[in-house]
Amino acid sequence: MANLTNLYDVSKCTACRGCMVACKDWNQLPAVIEPFKGNYDTHGGDTNGDTYTVVRFIEGEDPVDGVYWKFLKYQCMHCLEPACMKVCPQGAYSKTSWGATFHDPEKCIGCQYCTYACPFMIPKYRKREDKISKCTLCVDRVEEGLTPACARTCPTAALKFGDRDELLAEAEERAKFLRANGFPRATIYGRVELGGLNKLYVLTDSPDKFGLPVDPKVPGQISFWQNWIQPYFGWLIPIALGGSAISFVTTRILANKNGDHTEGGHE
Amino acid sequence: MQLIPEYKADVPRVERFNFLSRFTHWGHTVTFLLCLFTGLALFLNNVDWLAAIFGGYAGANLVHRISAVIMTIVVVIFVIGNFKVLIAWIKDILRFGMNDIKFLLLFPLEFLGFKVKVPPQTKFNGGEKGNSMVTPTAVIFLILSGYIMWFPTIFPAGLVRLAYPIHDIAMVLATMMVCMHGYLGSFHPGSGESFWGMWKGTVREDWAEHHHKTWYDETYGDKSKAE
Repeated sequence: MANLTNLYDVSKCTACRGCMVACKDWNQLPAVIEPFKGNYDTHGGDTNGDTYTVVRFIEGEDPVDGVYWKFLKYQCMHCLEPACMKVCPQGAYSKTSWGATFHDPEKCIGCQYCTYACPFMIPKYRKREDKISKCTLCVDRVEEGLTPACARTCPTAALKFGDRDELLAEAEERAKFLRANGFPRATIYGRVELGGLNKLYVLTDSPDKFGLPVDPKVPGQISFWQNWIQPYFGWLIPIALGGSAISFVTTRILANKNGDHTEGGHE
Repeated sequence: MQLIPEYKADVPRVERFNFLSRFTHWGHTVTFLLCLFTGLALFLNNVDWLAAIFGGYAGANLVHRISAVIMTIVVVIFVIGNFKVLIAWIKDILRFGMNDIKFLLLFPLEFLGFKVKVPPQTKFNGGEKGNSMVTPTAVIFLILSGYIMWFPTIFPAGLVRLAYPIHDIAMVLATMMVCMHGYLGSFHPGSGESFWGMWKGTVREDWAEHHHKTWYDETYGDKSKAE
């Protein structure tokens, strides 16, 4: 089955936060109320245990372009090769046939390995349940033939849902159009990053201006741990146990041969 | 077939470990093993039965953390309460010399039960010196990386990520040493008497002289009396 994905076009987003509300509504997530911090940004521009998606408000000043105000919908990227799935000791993560990275809270034990393996640190710890939670790409809706809640509610069609290859072609057209019409650094995000993301972005500027890693990588410590330490290093323990077992037998055979097994502990 | 050499109260015995050393040793043993088996439930794949012993993964998690805190307390008690012994231990490790290297070269034969002539050893022989270096170092790393993973939000993310492989490497090294240490300190016919040194505090005088001649001479032998 072809991958189904979201295409998010930054240039069409009005930051109405309808997607955030629709997400909370469908997934029955409680509001996370935070004090006013002096700008429009909420939740520090990051997801949390009860907020699967968030719209970032990025204010700044550029020496050439002057003052800017950028918006970005941020959530799980549903990587085609997810690091969270690799590190999870309980196999709580799975990939659906159409590309969503699904986290099963029934299997989760709240160890948070996935949080720190994720290059975006998206899986978040939900303290009240002692479990991890994150965007599901509305698996429950898509499997029934519906579109994800965020894409369905978007009034400006900044969010679209459909076949990844078709949306990728559309995104390239759009980026080309934007580059020719006042956004020379317009680019696509999610086509090649981390071997491909199952969330596509059309950005009006380079990814770092939106707080996205330009070249996201699974942290080296995590790869070292998962590829070398976990599978091979533990064999030292059975080797030590086996050596002791061999010694247990040979010492006694040799002692019997020499006819001295009275003063155990004094050869 | 004898598992552990019999405890003989009617022969001359010399003290090897004081009460606090023995108390913290066995406190550490219990908490280490609890931490090990609850931790292996996560380290190994498909061992639900192991977690089930502790009441599932949540139970194993709780036992792991309680044991870890008690283990930390035990280590602190040893370091503070037994500071003189700790310094003497470190000094003995630092005496690593030719006799220890010879011991380590001959040890594989002794381990399998062949009779070898081992050069005189200090309080801790070459192998024990190695264990004394590797295991405490690994335990310190286990404790530090463990608390980092327990409270990830107050540490930099890079450090938390580094704590995972460190915790695993230290666990494997410590467990490997503990397997050997546990066997050599009990069922190995050549060194089984040392079990009583850690359980009752004393070992047979002739065993001490035979296995740790340098230590025996300096502590209980002619050299100590001459001083």
